[in-house]
Amino acid sequence: MALIEIENLSVTFTTAGRKVRAVQDVSFKVEAQQSFGLVGESGSGKSTILRAICGMAPITGGQIRIDGKPLPTPRGRAFAAQVQMVFQDPYASLHPRHTVDRVLSEPLAIHGQGGSDAKIEQALIDVGLPPAFRFRYPHQLSGGQRQRVAIARALMLQPQILLLDEPTSALDASVQAETLNLLSRLRAERGLTFVMVSHDLAVIDHMCDRVLVMQNGQAVEELSREALASAAMTTPYARALFAASADRMLEG
Amino acid sequence: MTTLNAWLLDPNPKSRLQSRAGQTWLSWLRFRRNPLAMIGLGISVALILMSIFAPLLAPYDPIAQSLPDRLLPPLTPGHWMGTDDFGRDIYSRILYGSRITLDIVLLVILTAPVVGLIIGTVAGYFGGWVDAVLMRITDIFLAFPKLILALALVAVLGPGMVNAVLAIAVTSWPPYARVARAETLTVRNSDYIAATRLQGASSLRLIWGHVMPMCLPSVIIRVTLYMAGVILTAAGLGFLGLGVQPPLPEWGLMISAGRKFLFEQWWVATMPGLAIFVVSLGFNLLGDGLRDVLDPRSAGK
Amino acid sequence: MTLLSVKNLRVTFDTETGPVQAVRGVSFDLGRERLGIVGESGSGKTMTGRAVLRLIRAPGRIEADAMTFEGQDLMAASEPDLRALRGRRIAMVMQDPKFSLNPVMKVGAQLMEGLRQRDHATRAEARAKAIAALEAVQIRDPERVMEAYPHELSGGMGQRVMIAMMLIPDPDLLIADEPTSALDVTVQAEVLNILDDLVKTRGMGLIFISHDLRLVARFCDRVLVMYKGKIVEELAAKDLLQAKHPYTQGLLNCLPRIGGSRGALPALDRNADWAR
Ligand SMILES: Nc1ncnc2c1ncn2[C@@H]1O[C@H](COP(=O)(O)OP(=O)(O)OP(=O)(O)O)[C@@H](O)[C@H]1O
Ligand SMILES: Nc1ncnc2c1ncn2[C@@H]1O[C@H](COP(=O)(O)OP(=O)(O)OP(=O)(O)O)[C@@H](O)[C@H]1O
Ligand SMILES: [Mg+2]
Ligand SMILES: [Mg+2]
Repeated sequence: MALIEIENLSVTFTTAGRKVRAVQDVSFKVEAQQSFGLVGESGSGKSTILRAICGMAPITGGQIRIDGKPLPTPRGRAFAAQVQMVFQDPYASLHPRHTVDRVLSEPLAIHGQGGSDAKIEQALIDVGLPPAFRFRYPHQLSGGQRQRVAIARALMLQPQILLLDEPTSALDASVQAETLNLLSRLRAERGLTFVMVSHDLAVIDHMCDRVLVMQNGQAVEELSREALASAAMTTPYARALFAASADRMLEG
Repeated sequence: MTTLNAWLLDPNPKSRLQSRAGQTWLSWLRFRRNPLAMIGLGISVALILMSIFAPLLAPYDPIAQSLPDRLLPPLTPGHWMGTDDFGRDIYSRILYGSRITLDIVLLVILTAPVVGLIIGTVAGYFGGWVDAVLMRITDIFLAFPKLILALALVAVLGPGMVNAVLAIAVTSWPPYARVARAETLTVRNSDYIAATRLQGASSLRLIWGHVMPMCLPSVIIRVTLYMAGVILTAAGLGFLGLGVQPPLPEWGLMISAGRKFLFEQWWVATMPGLAIFVVSLGFNLLGDGLRDVLDPRSAGK
Repeated sequence: MTLLSVKNLRVTFDTETGPVQAVRGVSFDLGRERLGIVGESGSGKTMTGRAVLRLIRAPGRIEADAMTFEGQDLMAASEPDLRALRGRRIAMVMQDPKFSLNPVMKVGAQLMEGLRQRDHATRAEARAKAIAALEAVQIRDPERVMEAYPHELSGGMGQRVMIAMMLIPDPDLLIADEPTSALDVTVQAEVLNILDDLVKTRGMGLIFISHDLRLVARFCDRVLVMYKGKIVEELAAKDLLQAKHPYTQGLLNCLPRIGGSRGALPALDRNADWAR
């Protein structure tokens, strides 16, 4: 049985009387310890799928199951300990007036877990930040360092599943490499399951075992890593996406 | 001194205390560069010192009358600000009056902004009908001219300092609620709030720990800018005989008393008027300076 | 013909812990072409762009031996002169659309604001122009987006709204700071086409700041590579992927490739000599 099962998921926002069908009838499965990619057109509902899993988007149809069990609404603490998310923009995802220490201790406080000092220092070491950074504020950190703090926060509760919304698109090439290496290492060490959104097919190819291509709220085509690398896609949109990424090929 | 400075500016603080102290110290260094703000701070500190040490500084009793010394002009030996129509030394009365002014200001600060902050953040955070109800109430309060509403309240409650403070507080929370709500609206959809919610945080924790710290700077700035308004409203109530009661040396009351002989003995009304002016100006300058230091937008990345 | 000429530009922040030099002596000339600026995070790309518009806030300071836009001295220009230039003749797409858009104002109102105030367009005209601008950047449902608040947009839509907003007044010089970092490759290609078209047909100058080296190599004419506030290398964009400088090579080596190995990506070894 797959760890994450999404069946005919639909999300519809209603604003000012209009209906926005952000996600329509999307289904996919992610096995435990797999890394699953989401790519596709801007505005096609990739972030919305991640938010729907977290209970932050209005689900109007379909089902999301984790470990075979449908998710409760609201999601609750048990869910928080199982699934965490890393946001795209490291400049927007850390509270500007909280120190790294506060950011990392908050999840422990919410869940009434003790031993925070040791855990925070360990968490910083795990993401490759010097413990001296513990009492810094976000504005004293670079983009890559902030993203590491955000990843450390997501890992504080030892979740099984990490949802990553374009974790490196705001980062430069060298910091992207550091962050991707960090994520791969943590996944191997802890047996994490990833669902990862990215625009860069090279990043998806580097990180993911399977990938779902989306357009305009709908799933277009699901590909394995091998199919992606050998350009074995069948739908025109997936092809176009691949063709536009020609400069990202090995020997490109 | 240099080790303390190094400790404060350490980019890798060793403790929560050190990092907080370091941030505060940096803000102070930034604040210090603004001369006008420093003047404002100086005036505010002077007001506080004046009120604490009034008994030591004042040459005369502020209330005891001395009819032979009636209406002495300024620069009379022993009465450099002159005396009023009961022969009381105006300088001493202004010193003691600073206590009343400060009391009123402090009491208003402890009530109005707190109420406004809570109402504003709750309305902004929850949105929907909570927001609609709370903001309509705010609008109703805003729709009345402040002084008139305060007058009506004092008329019902009866004159006196506590009632005057209450009246001012009741009329002055709506702007804080507005400011706090506007600030809340800009932060409530931010990723850091979403990330914390995802950790399972309750609304109370989010409002208290995440939203309020973001609203606080604008509210504090508003408090200092509005302090002048509080002093003036208090003085207005005093002037109309609805605030602090004679013979207490409240500045507004003193102006009101001096109004009768404004043309012949101008100093009786002018001296307390100057005091109100200087203190109001001081708070305004302080507020402007704080805006540069505290405003999250000007702090940048 | 040069549109913008910058000689020895320096940006210094006088912070409480001492001066921080964000840009240290940058010089370049820009014609009606596509100039790329690449470099790692914190290398001063954004500050260079903002300095051209004199948009550096205190405690930042700008110094330059010369900075001219179509013969007009930008260093000597008064604040009203600069305001007349900004937005209208020189536009800048800011790096962080979420920060640059007003979170409590509808997107349409923000797009129409400039048209209504600066160009005194009627409501209907402004609306039509705004919708056309959104369509140009490939927004699927412009009518809805006009009525949406910024947080109701996806990351890439916010970015495209910013581009649309900056292109509405037809600037002569566009400074685009990471304008397409949140766009997928097909939409990105469309947006780049618009920019390309403006450079080719209208003779707009474009400064394209990005950390995507492969994109810059493909799209720009010329590239400046920045490190710690200095230009370490200037070269034709088509040569970027074969750059000689070890820093540029290091950045290129960090990139993953489709079909490449899944082992750890190489890290960048910084060399103190590059900053001199
Ligand atoms: N809170 C909301 N209210 C209304 N519409 C929304 C809201 N959030 C998202 N949408 C709409 O849902 C659609 C999908 O958005 P989503 O953020 O999932 O896109 P995305 O695939 O992540 O795109 P990008 O790659 O640009 O980030 C968009 O059309 C967006 O405008
Ligand atoms: N207010 C400030 N005070 C001190 N230093 C600052 C300030 N603002 C920016 N800097 C410094 O200026 C340098 C250049 O920053 P800039 O934003 O131009 O980098 P960038 O190349 O655009 O990086 P990125 O790719 O992350 O956007 C950085 O090292 C930064 O620390
Ligand atoms: Mg998205
Ligand atoms: Mg930048």
